[in-house]
Amino acid sequence: MTIFSAIGIAGTGATVHRKWLDAISDNIANINTARPSSEAAYQEKRVIAEAVDYGSGTGGVRVAGTALASSAEGRMVYEPDNALADAEGYVRYPDVDLGSQMSQMIMAQRGYQANLAVVDRARETYMAALRIGGGA
Amino acid sequence: MSVMGIEAVGARPVAATLPSLASLPTGAVGPLAGGAPAGPASGEDVASAFGAALTRGIASVEAAEKKADGLAVQAATGTLTDVHDYVIAANQAKLATELTVAVRNKAVEAFSEIMRLQA
Repeated sequence: MTIFSAIGIAGTGATVHRKWLDAISDNIANINTARPSSEAAYQEKRVIAEAVDYGSGTGGVRVAGTALASSAEGRMVYEPDNALADAEGYVRYPDVDLGSQMSQMIMAQRGYQANLAVVDRARETYMAALRIGGGA
Repeated sequence: MSVMGIEAVGARPVAATLPSLASLPTGAVGPLAGGAPAGPASGEDVASAFGAALTRGIASVEAAEKKADGLAVQAATGTLTDVHDYVIAANQAKLATELTVAVRNKAVEAFSEIMRLQA
C-alpha cells in the first residue's frame, strides 16, 4: 500500500467506470448493426466489476471480465430492402435496449465523477495534514 | 521533474548536518539536567534514523515521480488509456514531494531554533 492510498483506490474506481462507459459506447455504436439472418447478432457487452479485498493491502475495484447481456438471436426485423435480407426479407438486429444503455450511461458517468470527487477531497485532506503546525 | 531538485534544496545536507545537531543539544543540556541519563535512544541513533527515514521518503518520491513521468510520456505519445491515471499519479507525486519538503522544513526549523539558543 502506498502512502496516499485513498487517491489510488479512487483511481481504480474511475478506471472501472471508464471501462463501463467504453462498453456502453460499444453497445450504442452497434445498436443498428444488422446481420443476415444466418449469422449471430451483435451481443450487448457488460463489464463485470470485482472488489479487491482491502485486507490484502490494496483495496479498490477491478474489472474481472465482460459478459454478454443479450442473446445472439437478437431481433428479426422485416426489411426486404436491406441488402442483407434473406429470402423472406428478414435481417437480424442486436437486442440492445437504448433506454437501458442511456440509464447505464448516467450511472457510469456519475460513478466516474464520484470517484474523481473522492480524489479531490482526499488530496485536500492530505494537503491539510501537511499544513499542520504551519499556520502560526 | 526530478528529485534532484529536492536535493539541491538541501534534503541531503540536512541529513548530513543532523549528527552535529544531535551532538550539540545533548552536550549542552546534559549538565543542566544534573547528570540525568539521556533518553532511551542516543542522539546519534535518532539522527541516523531520521536521515535514513528521509532517504526512504526521497526514494518513494522518486518512484512516484517516475510513475507520473512514464504516464506523461504515454499521454504525449497517445498510448495513455486512462486520462485520470496520469492526473492521479501527478497528484500523488506532488503530495509526496510536499510531504518530504514539509519534513525537511520542520527539521531545518528545529535546527535553527536550537542554534538560536547559543545566541
